[in-house]
Amino acid sequence: MAIRDRALPLIRFACMACVAIATAGHPARAADVRPYVPASDAVVLEHLPSLRDPRVRAFDQLRRQRASTPRDPKLAVELARAYLDYGRATGDARYLGRAQAVVAPLLAKQPPPIDALLVEATLLQSRHQFAESRRVLQALLLRDPDNTDGWLTLSAVALVQGDMATAQRACAHLLMQSDALVAAGCIAAKDTVTGHARAALQVLDAVLPQAEGAPAAERAWIHGLRADAARTLGHSIGADQAFRDALALTPGDNYLVADYADFLLDQDRAREALALTAGGAQSDTTFLRQVLAETALGLPQASKDAAAMAARFADLERRGDQRLYAREAARFALHVLHDPRQALQLAQADWAFQRAPEDARVFLDAALASGRAEAATPVLDFVAATALEDPAVRAAAKRATAQIAPPAGRAR
Amino acid sequence: MNPRSRWLLGVLVALVLGWAQRADAHKESDAYLTLHTDPARPHVLHGQLDLALRDIAFVLDIDRNQDGALTWGEVKASRGMIERYGLAGIAIRGDGLACETHPTGQAIDEHNDGAYDVVFFDAVCDKEIPNRLTVAYTLFRDIDPYHRGIVTIHAGQRTTGAVLGPTTPNATLDLRTPDRWSQFKSFTVDGIWHIWTGPDHLLFILSLLLPAVLYRANSPEGLRVAAADPGIPRDTGWVPVPRLGRSMLELIKVISGFTVSHSATLTLSVLGYVDLPSRFVESGIALSILLAAANNVVPVVTRRAWVVAFAFGLIHGLGFASALAGLSLPPAAMAVSLGGFSLGVELGQESIVLPFLPLAFLMRRTRFYQVGVVRIGSMLIMAVAMLWFVQRAFDLTVPGTTYLTPG
Repeated sequence: MAIRDRALPLIRFACMACVAIATAGHPARAADVRPYVPASDAVVLEHLPSLRDPRVRAFDQLRRQRASTPRDPKLAVELARAYLDYGRATGDARYLGRAQAVVAPLLAKQPPPIDALLVEATLLQSRHQFAESRRVLQALLLRDPDNTDGWLTLSAVALVQGDMATAQRACAHLLMQSDALVAAGCIAAKDTVTGHARAALQVLDAVLPQAEGAPAAERAWIHGLRADAARTLGHSIGADQAFRDALALTPGDNYLVADYADFLLDQDRAREALALTAGGAQSDTTFLRQVLAETALGLPQASKDAAAMAARFADLERRGDQRLYAREAARFALHVLHDPRQALQLAQADWAFQRAPEDARVFLDAALASGRAEAATPVLDFVAATALEDPAVRAAAKRATAQIAPPAGRAR
Repeated sequence: MNPRSRWLLGVLVALVLGWAQRADAHKESDAYLTLHTDPARPHVLHGQLDLALRDIAFVLDIDRNQDGALTWGEVKASRGMIERYGLAGIAIRGDGLACETHPTGQAIDEHNDGAYDVVFFDAVCDKEIPNRLTVAYTLFRDIDPYHRGIVTIHAGQRTTGAVLGPTTPNATLDLRTPDRWSQFKSFTVDGIWHIWTGPDHLLFILSLLLPAVLYRANSPEGLRVAAADPGIPRDTGWVPVPRLGRSMLELIKVISGFTVSHSATLTLSVLGYVDLPSRFVESGIALSILLAAANNVVPVVTRRAWVVAFAFGLIHGLGFASALAGLSLPPAAMAVSLGGFSLGVELGQESIVLPFLPLAFLMRRTRFYQVGVVRIGSMLIMAVAMLWFVQRAFDLTVPGTTYLTPG
């Protein structure tokens, strides 16, 4: 039902995009593509994942091996992980489906291998199917109660859903059975969004020396968590440094780039955000930040890129995946299309399954911008219950509360 | 920490921060399938299949020099391979009857997530002007369950769309409100074509038809003719019938017997009550031709040729049914379609029989007809039927005979 309700605004995005294109005088694309014959054989049409990239070479080789031993379950899981990692790091969602295809035969077994269930849970989580991911994780942990990865993933999923109690419980399991770095990271992530950002930062700083010998991805994880905690506390210099530390370890990581860009936008450093996101093969996430930066700077290319972004949303909608990207769509509607009513509708759809600080923020901003602060009551209740410290969320929540409780209260 | 969680932490850089809920980027894989009906050619649909180069490159070796930069030259060189792969993943049906796809061109399309190879094709349907169009989509299913086929069908003023994937692999569009009369007509045309283009049914009819202007010399009727005209030559084993009316009557009986039985088995088969392996049916048809022609050379059944026609018609009906395999319509439309098709088969036969009969009647006294046409002709038919029988029953291909193989 909710999905159907959401369809309309996004269709209107597409229409606005058409108008934007028409008025800006740019060649029409997207809905109205025309097949053509390239001028010469030498024209490069597409850049494929390059074999120069070690990650590509790795899954390419695994794929070859699997072709000769298709029934080896260990190899299948390894290949699926390689696809999944690559897809997540680059933002190329095609690799999620490819990973899914590789584990599907294993999942059909009775009982499915634990490793395959873990890949499946991570895939579902990557596709924002949190409830489904949780079901898989619960089945996994029932069979293997000491599975570190299972608990870690469960805590992450629960956190996204705003289920702090489950996140906490999952971290507690880690505390009992794995090394301090993993447990500390788990707890810090939860503390950052439950009013204990200062404690989180202290814990992370304390385990930092221990992370020295760890792989780059793990160190980047810890630095990313530090950046988030520092940002939440309003320590912008510390946050900035932590983001840079994380990005130095995993350059170009899709999530890190998007998060750092959001931070820069919040700091009125749109020009730096643009430099960070513009150019190269772009994921939708990165591109949205680029469009937001261009819009904030009032650059001439903003309207053309906004139209392209709208076309991407229209593509998502066409394949029936629009619900999964409701938060991005809400931000786009609010800050680029300047349509707070649509933004609010989208934010409400988003809130039904995602409750991270960013979801709270776009919901509150959209409610305030459309003069319907009372619509944000569920968010205000959530912020109060979880003691969320995020400064932007706090500020918006304060304004919304003031609008709901009118001056009459103060006059007394 | 075990190696597993080391892997996972790579993933979790994104997760624990709550970054995971962010949009995952480049959308997942889509392909676009568009179909247009053509008012000038009612049994043809013009199709366009857009396949992402990145998807094609994942399954086919189109990056010939493996440098990661896909050029138009490389895509062009792989055209045949891409067309085979792409068209194998879609099945188009008109009223449940398969449409054959033939590639007609290649181009490039730019979508929001990159360059796509365009496969232009025509879908030629057995069924003229189908009422209902069905698209079954299985492309990329084995390598990416999140892949979707975005299907758009344009039929005159009507347009419909569907998003196809593993859970909903089929899309259906009613091209027009079923109009019984035009449906009947279109199936009648199909029936006529089925006879005209199917040499095996024609040869069977012909085998029964050849002796229709003659009596066997030693049959009671033949003896009577010989008694009335003692000078008549009887060494060919045949004597001419005295009047055209006689031949007509015989012919009507033969054709009617054939029609009644093949209509019955056609209906039973299309409705799914009878289902024999096609190898059995097809070799049975070849055998029926062989026997019918042999009977003209070495008489076994000398009377009641219509009984033979009726008996063998049963198996020919099952053969006709293969042309309608998969036909799925509501009951009333089904009755109209089957009726139309049977009538078409009948008309197709008549259109051959009626011009033939007067000609045969005029020539019936000649040795050329009695020996050249009936005897030698039947022997030739036997030879062809024997060939078909061997091919169909034993699944053999006899070299140099493909032009004789019915479509």
